[in-house]
Amino acid sequence: MRIEDVVCPFCGCLCDDLVVSVEGTKVLSVENGCTLATEKFTGDHRLAHPIRRTGGSWEKTTYDVAIRETAEILLDAERPLLYGWSGTFVEAQTIGVHLAELLGAVIDNTSTVCHGPSIMAIQEVGHPGCTLGQVKNRADVIVYWGANPIEAHPRHMSRYTTFADGFFVKSAFRDRKVIVVDIRETDSSEIADEFVKVTPGGDYAVLSALRMIVRGKGELVPEKVSGVTREQLFRVANICLSARFGAIFFGLGLTMSRGKYKNIRNAIELTEELNRHTKFTISPMRGHWNVYGSNEVFTWITGYPYAVDFSRGIAFYNPGETTSVDILRRKECDACLVVASDPGAHFPRACAGHLASIPTVQIDPHVNATTHLSRIQIPVAVTGIDAEGTAYRMDGVPIRTRQLFSTDYPDDVAVLGRIYSLVKEAKG
Amino acid sequence: MTQGILIKNAYVIDPLSGIRGEVMDIAIRDGRIVEEAPPGSQVIDAGGCLTLPGGIDSHSHVCGTKVNFGRYMSPEDMRAGRTSRKGVMHVTSGYSVPTTFGNSYRYSTMGYTTVLEGAMAPLEARHTHEEFTATPHQDMLANTLFDGNWSVMEAVRDKDVKRAAAIVAWTLAAVRGFAIKLTNPGGTEAWGWGKDVANIHDPVPHFEVTPAEIISTMIQANEILRLPHSVHLHCNNLGVPGNFRTTLETMDLAPPAQGNRQTLYLTHVQFHSYGGTTWRDISSKSEDIARSLNSKPQVVIDMGQIMFGRTTTMTADGPMEFKLYMLHHNKWSNHDVELETGSGIIPVYYSRKSLVNCVMWAIGLELALLAKNPWQCLLSTDNPNGAPFVKYPEIIALLMSRRMRENERKEIDPRTEHYVPLFALERELDWYDIAVMTRAGQAKALGITRIGKGFLSPGAQADVAIYPLKPDQLDPSVDYQQVMAGFSRTLYTIKRGRVVARDGDVVVEGANSTIWTRSRVPPGYDMGSDPEFTKKFDQYYTVRLRNYPVQDVYLPRGVCIETEAAL
Amino acid sequence: MRVILKTRPRKKPHVPIEAEGIIPQNFLRKNDLSVYEGNRERHLEDLFFVTVEGPAVSPDQVEVILTGDTGRIKRVGEYMNAGRIIIEGDIGMHCGNFMSAGEIIVRGNADAWLGREMRGGRILCEGNAGDYCGAGYRGEKRGMRGGTVEVMGNAGDFVAEYLSGGEVIVHGDCGDLPGVEMRGGTLVIGGNCSRPCGNMTGGTCMVLGDPGELLPSFRRNGSTEAEFGGKKFRMAVFRGDVANRGKGTLLVREDLKSSRP
Ligand code: SF4
Ligand SMILES: [Zn+2]
Repeated sequence: MRIEDVVCPFCGCLCDDLVVSVEGTKVLSVENGCTLATEKFTGDHRLAHPIRRTGGSWEKTTYDVAIRETAEILLDAERPLLYGWSGTFVEAQTIGVHLAELLGAVIDNTSTVCHGPSIMAIQEVGHPGCTLGQVKNRADVIVYWGANPIEAHPRHMSRYTTFADGFFVKSAFRDRKVIVVDIRETDSSEIADEFVKVTPGGDYAVLSALRMIVRGKGELVPEKVSGVTREQLFRVANICLSARFGAIFFGLGLTMSRGKYKNIRNAIELTEELNRHTKFTISPMRGHWNVYGSNEVFTWITGYPYAVDFSRGIAFYNPGETTSVDILRRKECDACLVVASDPGAHFPRACAGHLASIPTVQIDPHVNATTHLSRIQIPVAVTGIDAEGTAYRMDGVPIRTRQLFSTDYPDDVAVLGRIYSLVKEAKG
Repeated sequence: MTQGILIKNAYVIDPLSGIRGEVMDIAIRDGRIVEEAPPGSQVIDAGGCLTLPGGIDSHSHVCGTKVNFGRYMSPEDMRAGRTSRKGVMHVTSGYSVPTTFGNSYRYSTMGYTTVLEGAMAPLEARHTHEEFTATPHQDMLANTLFDGNWSVMEAVRDKDVKRAAAIVAWTLAAVRGFAIKLTNPGGTEAWGWGKDVANIHDPVPHFEVTPAEIISTMIQANEILRLPHSVHLHCNNLGVPGNFRTTLETMDLAPPAQGNRQTLYLTHVQFHSYGGTTWRDISSKSEDIARSLNSKPQVVIDMGQIMFGRTTTMTADGPMEFKLYMLHHNKWSNHDVELETGSGIIPVYYSRKSLVNCVMWAIGLELALLAKNPWQCLLSTDNPNGAPFVKYPEIIALLMSRRMRENERKEIDPRTEHYVPLFALERELDWYDIAVMTRAGQAKALGITRIGKGFLSPGAQADVAIYPLKPDQLDPSVDYQQVMAGFSRTLYTIKRGRVVARDGDVVVEGANSTIWTRSRVPPGYDMGSDPEFTKKFDQYYTVRLRNYPVQDVYLPRGVCIETEAAL
Repeated sequence: MRVILKTRPRKKPHVPIEAEGIIPQNFLRKNDLSVYEGNRERHLEDLFFVTVEGPAVSPDQVEVILTGDTGRIKRVGEYMNAGRIIIEGDIGMHCGNFMSAGEIIVRGNADAWLGREMRGGRILCEGNAGDYCGAGYRGEKRGMRGGTVEVMGNAGDFVAEYLSGGEVIVHGDCGDLPGVEMRGGTLVIGGNCSRPCGNMTGGTCMVLGDPGELLPSFRRNGSTEAEFGGKKFRMAVFRGDVANRGKGTLLVREDLKSSRP
C-alpha cells in the first residue's frame, strides 16, 4: 500500500509530503524523504515487550507490572523528574504535564539541551518570526547562523529556503543570497554566497558590531571583530539592508556557544534593528520533530515552555535551576521518568551517572543509551508510524502525523494515561 | 443525563425574551431550560439575586498560536497570577495571558459560558482547537482570519464575489472556524514586506486591491453564505491618531441589514476613534463614531475598553504591533502566516499618568454611553489588549455609576477632560443595558440564539449566571463597589444544566463544545476540487492540502451550524 | 532574640529545601513554620534543631543563625525587611530574594541568584557567589533595584544582570558577561572578568582586574581616577553599549585594557 502526504517524525522540518509504501507492518520504501527519514521509517530496533532490571540483568515483564511499578516509583519520590517529550505527540505531552502537576514533579523537555537559550532570549526581547512559507515565497536573503542544515535538517533548503521557488521568488537559486556564519566550513557554507568565519565564542561581538553598523554607528567598528574583517561586516550588513525580505535561521552553534542566550538575544535585536529598514525575521532551527509541540503544551497548561517545577504546587520556572541537566548535576532528583528521548546519549556524563543511581523508567519504542541507565523500560508505538497525533513544526505550524498501520504496541497516551490514573487514585 | 435544577426566586433579566427584571423560577432539564423541572431536581434558592443568561464574550484572545506565544515570551506575567491544584481545578499561571485553565476558571467564576476567540489563522487552526479543548468551561468559537488571504484577494481583484464566498466556505469548514475575521485587511499582507496600508483606498502591494474592496466583497460573500455572524472587522489604522476617519468611512461600507442582524461588526472600536494628528494632540472622536453608529442599525461594535495597569497586546495586526513597539521598547514578537495573515505581540502598561492612555480609557466608556442602543455596543476589552477580562466588573461599574467616573477623574491626568467628552455625560447604564451588553447582544450579533445561546426561556441552553447582587436593594450609581464585587464572582455558574462554579471555585471538570459553521455550496463551488485553487495551494503553501483541514478528533463535542449558500 | 537553626541529618541530602519562611519577622510570634523538602511540606522542626534565646519585640531585634548542611536551602531571607540572618556555612539559591532591609551574612559560599530582585538592605558573602548574583528574574526588565551585595570571593556568570539600582561589589573575579543588560546602579569587580556590560543602557561598572576582551560596541570617553581597596587607579572610561543605544559607563584600568579587539 502506498500512503501519500505522510508526515516525517524526525526533524523540526516536519516534512508532510512523504510517500511511504507499506506491507502489513513493514515499511518497504520512502519517497521524497531525506536519508534521515528513510532511516527513521525503516529502522528496526524495537523492544518487543516491557523489561525490568532485577539485580544486574533484564527480565521480561508485563505492561501491567511495569506501569504499576512506575507509578509507585513516582509516588515515592520527593523530587521526581519527568524528562523528554520531544519525540511524542501533543496528546501524550498533555498527560505528562498533568502527571507532573499531580505528583509535584519537575517536568522538562529536550529544549534544555538545544533551544532552551533561544526561549530565554525570546523571553527577554520577543521573537520576530514567521511561518516557513513566508520565507519560501518572499525571502531574497537567507542567513544560517551556527547551523548546518544540510546535515541536521536535510530538506530545509530545498523545501523552504535556498532551493525553494516561491511566489515572489520565481527562481530561488538565482534570486536568493545565502549567508552562512559559523566557526568552521561546513557542507552548508560551501553553497553560501558569503561565508563569515567567526572565532569560537565570538558570535556575540560580531552581532553587536552588525547592530552598530545597521544603526549607523559603524565608524566605531574595529578592523577585526572575532576574526571577521570590518570590510566583511559592512558587506554583510549591506546585503541585509538591501534585502526585500530577509530570514535568519540559527542553530546550536549559536545557542550552545559562549554567552548562550545572550547570543540569541543579540541576534534577535539585530533582526529588530533591521526591521526599522526592511523586513527581517529570525527563527530557531528546532531539532526534534515535536520539541516545539512540547513547548506549546507546557506553555498553555503551565505558562512556561520547559523546565517547570511543580514541587510547591504552583508552576515555577527558572532555567539554570529547574532544568534537567542542572537538577541531575546537583543530584537533586530521586526518580526519573524518561519519555521519548535519549538523555543517556545527550546528557553530560555526570548527569547520566545520576540517572543510573536512581530509579529511572523509560517509555520508548527503542533500545537506546538510556536503556542502560534504566530500571524499567516500556516500549510503545512509534508516533507517525504505528501511532498518530499532533506535532508542531519548528515555526509553530501544527500538523497531524499519520498512522501508517497498527501494531499491538500501546501508544504513549495509553501508557501514560494508565500511570496517571494510578497516581490519581493514590493521591485521592 | 437526566439532571434537573430548579432555580427559585431568581431576579431575572433576559433581554431576548423580553424580561426586564422579574422575580421568577427557572427550570432546567437535560441541559436545557424547560417549563417544569423534573422530580428530584436540585433546588437552588437565588434569594432575589440577579440571574442572567450565561455571559458571552464576542471578542477575546484566549487560545491559539499568538496567545500562547504571549505566554511563552512572558514568564514575568506568568508569575503575576499563580494558583495550585485545588479540587478539580488544575494549576493556573498568568495575569494578562493566563494559561488556558486560568482563563477558563476565571471566566467561569464571572459567569461566562461562551467565548469567541477573536483571531485564528487557518494554517494554525489545529492549535486553536487544541487549546479550546483545554479551556473546558466555555463553549468556544473561532473567528477565522481572511485579511491577507491570497485566494480571496485574487477573487476580489477579479470582482468574483461568488468565488470569494466559495473560498470562505471551504476554509471555514476545513479549519472548523465560525466567522469571517478581517484584521487590518490588506495591511497584514503589506506587512509581509514591512509595510502597511494607509487608508481603506490604499492598494495592497502586488495584489492591487484596496481594503475597502476586500471588506465590501467579504460582506457580500458572508451574506451569500448566510453565515450566522456578520463580517467581524478590525479596521485599518488601529491606534493611529486621526484614525476615526478611516473608521467612519469603513462604517459607511456596511449595507443595510436584510434580516435582523447587523451586516458589519466592528471590534475594539475604542482603538479606532482617535482624533488629532500625533500622540501629542490625540483626542476623542467617540461622538462622531457614535453618531454614525446611532444612524446605522446594520452596524454593531464592541468597546475595546482599556483599563489602567499592565497587560499584553496581541493581534493579527503585525504592522500596528511594530509601531506600538517603537513607542514602548519593551519586547516585540511577530509571526507572519504564509498566504493568510500576520500577528504581533507586545506587553504594555496603561498609565493614569499618560494623557494618551487616559484619553483611550475615556473613549471606550464614551462609546458605550453614547450608543443609544445597547444592542449595538457590546462590552469588551479586546482581552487582553485593552485589559484582561477580569476587569469587566470594573467597567460595568464605571458604566453604571457617574460617581465612580468622577472619582476616577481625580486620579488621572488632569488634562484629560480637555480632550474627551466623558465627564459631561450623565448617562448611567442600568441592569438591563448591562445584560444586553454582556450576553444577549453578543448572542444576537453572533447569530447563536438559533442554538439556544443568550436567553433563558424554554428551549434555551441552560447557561445561567446567578450573581450576589439584589437589584431592588442596590443603587449602582452609589454602590458601585458592590456591583464590581458582585459581577466578579457568581454565586452559581450553570453551564449546559450543570453547576460548574460556586462562589469563585470551579466545581466540576468541564466539557465544552466548539461551535463552527459549514455552508453547503454546489459542487462547482467546492474549492477542494478546484484546479486553480489546489494548484496554487500545492505551489505556495508549505503544508499539503490533505494535511491542512482540522480533523474531527480535535472537536470532541463540535456543534456545527449548517447553512445553505445562495450560490 | 537569637534563633539558631541547626540542620538535622536527612535521608536524601541532595533534595533541595525551600525555606522562604526563614526571615527574622516570622520568629517573633511562633516557630511552627512550614518548609518544603522537594514536594513534601515539613515542619521547621522536622528539618532543623531549633533553639531560641532571649526575647524580641520587633523583627530588627531578631537574629537568625543557620548552621550545618545549609548549602541546599533555597530562598532564605526572601522578602526580609528587618533583622539579621547569619549563615555559618554555604547557602542555597535565591538567598535574599526581594529583600528590602536588614542584613544577611553568608560565611561560606552562596549559590546562584544571591539577592535576586533585591530592593534594599545588605548581603555580605564571605566566600564565593554563584551565577546571577544581584540579578533579576526571567522576562523582567529590572533586576536588583536597591541595597548592597558584597562578595569577598569570586562570582559566576551574568552577575548583576539587569541591575537597576543599588550596588554589587565582587572583590574577586566574575565570569562571563557581568553587568549584562545593566540599566542603573553600580557594579564593582575587584578581579578579572570577560565581556563586561554587554547591552548595558545605564549605570556604572568598574573593573579593577583584567576585563579580557572588551566588546566592540563601547566608545572611548576619556579617563578618570578611581579608588578601590585603598588604592588609586587610572581608569579608561567607555560609554555604551552603543549597539543598544546605551548610555552606561564602563571603567577599566588604563594599564590592563590590553585586549581591545
Ligand atoms: S528534513 Fe527532517 S522532516 Fe524532512 S524528511 Fe528529512 S528528517 Fe524528515
Ligand atoms: Zn482582538
